[in-house]
Amino acid sequence: MAMRQTPLTCSGHTRPVVDLAFSGITPYGYFLISACKDGKPMLRQGDTGDWIGTFLGHKGAVWGATLNKEATKAATAAADFTAKVWDAVSGDEVLTLAHKHIVKSVNFTQDSSCLLTGGNDKTIRIYDINKPEAEPQEITGHTSAIKKALWCNNDTQILSAADDKTVRLWDRTSTAVVKQLSFDMSVSSMEYIPDGEVLVITYGKTIAFYNALSLDLIKTVDAPASIHSASLHPDKDFFVAGGDDFKLYKYDYSTKEELESYKGHFGPVHCVRFSPDGELYASGSEDGTLRLWQTEVGKTYGLWKCVLPGEFVLNWVQVWRLSWP
Amino acid sequence: MRTPMSVLRLPRGPDPNSRGFDPDSPRFIALCSTTISSSTDTETDSVQIGEEQCARSMLRESFLRTLIAMTNKQVQFYMYERVKVNAVFVASDIDVLNFQVSDLQTPIGVQKEALLRCQDVILYSFDL
Repeated sequence: MAMRQTPLTCSGHTRPVVDLAFSGITPYGYFLISACKDGKPMLRQGDTGDWIGTFLGHKGAVWGATLNKEATKAATAAADFTAKVWDAVSGDEVLTLAHKHIVKSVNFTQDSSCLLTGGNDKTIRIYDINKPEAEPQEITGHTSAIKKALWCNNDTQILSAADDKTVRLWDRTSTAVVKQLSFDMSVSSMEYIPDGEVLVITYGKTIAFYNALSLDLIKTVDAPASIHSASLHPDKDFFVAGGDDFKLYKYDYSTKEELESYKGHFGPVHCVRFSPDGELYASGSEDGTLRLWQTEVGKTYGLWKCVLPGEFVLNWVQVWRLSWP
Repeated sequence: MRTPMSVLRLPRGPDPNSRGFDPDSPRFIALCSTTISSSTDTETDSVQIGEEQCARSMLRESFLRTLIAMTNKQVQFYMYERVKVNAVFVASDIDVLNFQVSDLQTPIGVQKEALLRCQDVILYSFDL
């Protein structure tokens, strides 16, 4: 019996959700942080979407959010010209890093000792979290606002995407550009997969996959609508994408075939990411919600339960009600 | 027609009264020593953590006693944008996010009851 996808809707935000990130797998499961224009980023349990807490302190829209691998620290980038580091267990603000303009992106190194920031002042900064009063290392070169800056190649290099329609690979020590990609339009999102060194870039209606070390193109796939974000499954068999037409698309990575498309959001999809175990993916939308989608529809996982034929009749009314968004 | 996948329940939403991060959750209890060491630079041993906890308890108790002492008294609040207002302090919420005040003197009149956002307050003072 083929099953229809039932997304789980996480409500709570009052404005568009613009960024989301998962932690690694910890002894307490994995976690999800969402960045929202309401200025109140939220931490959720990754496999159920249950709200854990809200990080309070920013005075403007939060454009970027990230968790470290162990989900003990969180970092956020906001329109109040600050990036903040938080204790992700207690919810307390640990550090405020003042910038000269809107901050858009934050990223921890693997050992959580350094934080990478990027934003509208076109400068990439590296902060030592253990020495926050020290001046950050600065990397300049981009000629427009930076959308995303990510550590790569074992934290020895940095990948950045900006509104100047370039993606640049920088060496951390020399701060020089190693390689650069130029596009005809602005890159809408970027995802770095360390295992296999794959870089996922979206622009226009295209999802492009590059080798993260050489920046050689692996393949491109075109979607029916303008895509804002895409994510590659950890096993590299699927990827998902979402954008302007409010739908989530699922593709086979090897064959580039569109496998499924899902309606559900009431606004453009701004961000989508696979969970660290690949069992689900989360999407954030202009409609202010996050939705969790099963990778393998029909599997019992998290809050989803595979119901046997006998049970189904009794549960039908409950399922019918819940499947309404 | 495909049958929709069943769910056990919907994801739990935010608690309207608190910012969350339940201190009774297993994760908080197991990792809460991290929250103390996150505020100190060097490695802490149990004696130092104990001393720090004592200091924290003392400071917290003093703060809570000031809130009690302030109740029903005239307080001057100095806020951002050079705002200085007088009001009678009534209560604080549990996370010290908002102060409930009465007879708030503002340039456009007296507000009988009001909430002041604590993050906008730089300092406040009152006479004992």
